Amino acid sequence: MGEQAEKKPKAKEVMKQLTKDYYGGALRAHEENKYVAYTTAVSPVELFYAHDIIPIYPENHSVMCLTGRMMPRLSLEIEKRGYTSHLCAYARSDLGYREVGESPIGGIPDPDFLLACNAQCFTLTKWFQVLSRRYGVPVFVFDTPQYIRKDEARKNIMKYVEHQLVEMVEALEELTGRKFDYDRLREVLGYSAEASKLYREFLDLASIRPSPISIFDALIHMAIIVYLRGTKEAVDYYRLLIEEIKEEKVSKGIGVIPNERFRLYWENLPIWFKFRDHSDFLAAHDAIILTSLYAHAWSYDFDVSNPLATLAENYTSVFSNVELEERAERAIELFRRYSLNGNIMFMNRSCKAVTFGVLELKEMISKETGIPVLIFESDMGDPRFYSEVQIRTRLEAYLETLDRMGVG
Amino acid sequence: MNRQVLEELLSIARDPYPMLRAWKKKGEKRKIIGSTLTDVPEELIHAAGMLPFTILGTNKSILRASAHLPDNACSQARSDLELVLTYQRDFFDGYVLPQVDDTTQHLSDIWRRQVRWDYFETFLLPRQIDRPSARQWLLDETLRLKRSLESFTGKEISEGRLRESIGIYNQNRGYLKRLYEMKRRHPDFINNRQFFDLIKSSMWWPKEEHNGLLERFFSGIEETDLMRKGEEDTRVVLSGIVWEPPEIMDILDQSGLRVVGDDLCAGWRYIDPDVEANGDPVKAIVDRHFKKGPFTPIYAKGNKIFENLLNLVTRNTAEGVIYLHIKFNESQDYDLPDLIENMEKEGIPLFVVETEYQTTHLAGIRTRIQAFGESLAQK
Repeated sequence: MGEQAEKKPKAKEVMKQLTKDYYGGALRAHEENKYVAYTTAVSPVELFYAHDIIPIYPENHSVMCLTGRMMPRLSLEIEKRGYTSHLCAYARSDLGYREVGESPIGGIPDPDFLLACNAQCFTLTKWFQVLSRRYGVPVFVFDTPQYIRKDEARKNIMKYVEHQLVEMVEALEELTGRKFDYDRLREVLGYSAEASKLYREFLDLASIRPSPISIFDALIHMAIIVYLRGTKEAVDYYRLLIEEIKEEKVSKGIGVIPNERFRLYWENLPIWFKFRDHSDFLAAHDAIILTSLYAHAWSYDFDVSNPLATLAENYTSVFSNVELEERAERAIELFRRYSLNGNIMFMNRSCKAVTFGVLELKEMISKETGIPVLIFESDMGDPRFYSEVQIRTRLEAYLETLDRMGVG
Repeated sequence: MNRQVLEELLSIARDPYPMLRAWKKKGEKRKIIGSTLTDVPEELIHAAGMLPFTILGTNKSILRASAHLPDNACSQARSDLELVLTYQRDFFDGYVLPQVDDTTQHLSDIWRRQVRWDYFETFLLPRQIDRPSARQWLLDETLRLKRSLESFTGKEISEGRLRESIGIYNQNRGYLKRLYEMKRRHPDFINNRQFFDLIKSSMWWPKEEHNGLLERFFSGIEETDLMRKGEEDTRVVLSGIVWEPPEIMDILDQSGLRVVGDDLCAGWRYIDPDVEANGDPVKAIVDRHFKKGPFTPIYAKGNKIFENLLNLVTRNTAEGVIYLHIKFNESQDYDLPDLIENMEKEGIPLFVVETEYQTTHLAGIRTRIQAFGESLAQK
């Protein structure tokens, strides 16, 4: 996939520059009297952009640490302090970074405010509480109850979440001493809506056969929708990226791999320190992972005419916060839309939120699709819990099974 | 002391299922509604004409639950699911499962799909409690539960009936708190295991009957029961969620450690505070939630778990804290390092016991608890 990304220098260069500017701006924030708020990847970050507060995503920084293979070193540092190795690898990496100060990008600024939205997971709220105690700054727990399929509950949940958006506005006004500008929120939300639409269009390029992108492209380019959602730069970026892929790949019928046979679904977050290896290994076997509900967690559908309601609905209904049946339906829809013929389900020991229901999901998805499933356990960021030989053997055996079944 | 009544109560705590089955066989029509920990408003279920029952897992072997859960699911979730998949499959008529974290949220879905039931409802607790939105949300959610129960039974839960249930529950809480106070003052009155078993029996027995049993127990208490007989013991505060396996409590008893305060869901948090008897009963039930002691998954401003423990230690002149940590309970995992550090700064000894349901090898835990007890006694 690295080769594929290199063939798109323009978008890649833009991404590099955007990332550099974003983190550079964040590191200068305090000198420029701007506030820095830590937030979680699925959260109403639009409120921060609208209020001129710089959002920082410790999860993103952790991904850089994990892909930079700084684990288990960072984890060991906090295990000395009594944190256990079965906590979220993002949290361990982040808390470890704070002990040793090492970072692939020179670090991130300390927070003035913490926003922990639990739609993604509950862990984040506990992790951010540790940070809140460490820095003596407030944490705003943005509580999104499970979006259960009951009309009365959903109506109440939306009321509750919208109420919290108003409370968050009040908290930000208290923090900065400035009045919140709802017109500015509409503008920011407009950018988010457009970028989300384009991001989904980008992800959906994987429905083309042969696919011009793989999940690995999605994971690389996902970074912008996560941390620049709400800015014009994100909109321009995805427009450029889509044009580039269409021009260089789609128009010429070029796929990521030459002999595309096995079009795979991936359940869960990636194994960050291995995803390139997985890509190469699978490509050698004519297999490609095309999508995942995880990547789709940022393909929001905002209705700009009703900012608070749409923020509430989009950030509450993320795949990890709906009932398992609805999550399975969304996954099955991806199987159909992307013509998938294989299913790899990763039991991620450091992400209970996404993993807890996987055994149940496996039954639901395989019953509906009839596609055999490879299921294995490891950790998204800690090589101590990754068994190279075992996982390779199982991947090989799985692909042989698909081959024997005449898939592809 | 009325030993016979005490034994009756303790036998409920040892194994309530045969007794409740016998109770049903005698013609009792009430349906049994199970809830996992914690904070489901039992008064509503009671007022709906059913028996609320707090599910506290099983210490019997895990046979089926593991097929549905990841390896690092905590033993509380695993043994709760095992109980209803294997050992008490037909015992419950329905469930109200509360959600407070990732485990309870997803367990609820798995349960709904895998377990047999006539009634199933989730109870979505707010995971923050300081802002006005939390109170409004819990009121809406409690009213939703009320309507859901009414729709299941086909009968309205009247204000009068709910008030009556609140009265019965308050009376029960009052009795248990009175017993706790007697336990604090009179070391040889009842031991740790007996007292916490009494709370368990309350979670598992029709409250009206439990009140009757407690009344008989109180009336049998004599001066001599309160007299000091044994040696000086050491006062400790117990922190955590549950006290499983129950032998843990026996170990404390045998180590001369007397629990004088706790923040357990299967302890003080179950019996305190009362529901305000006046005003709108549903609102009063909601109010109770916000007056409860801190619970690790629910965010409260400040450092409430630590502050509450500190207060429990000081108020009850305890020598130290025993923290029961359920392995793989993430919420406790995130709290512990700072909590240990904060307690150290205060000069309060805190001893962490990692426990799991199904643990049978307790020799190591026994030795360490005894050593902790001795170190406190020497202070």
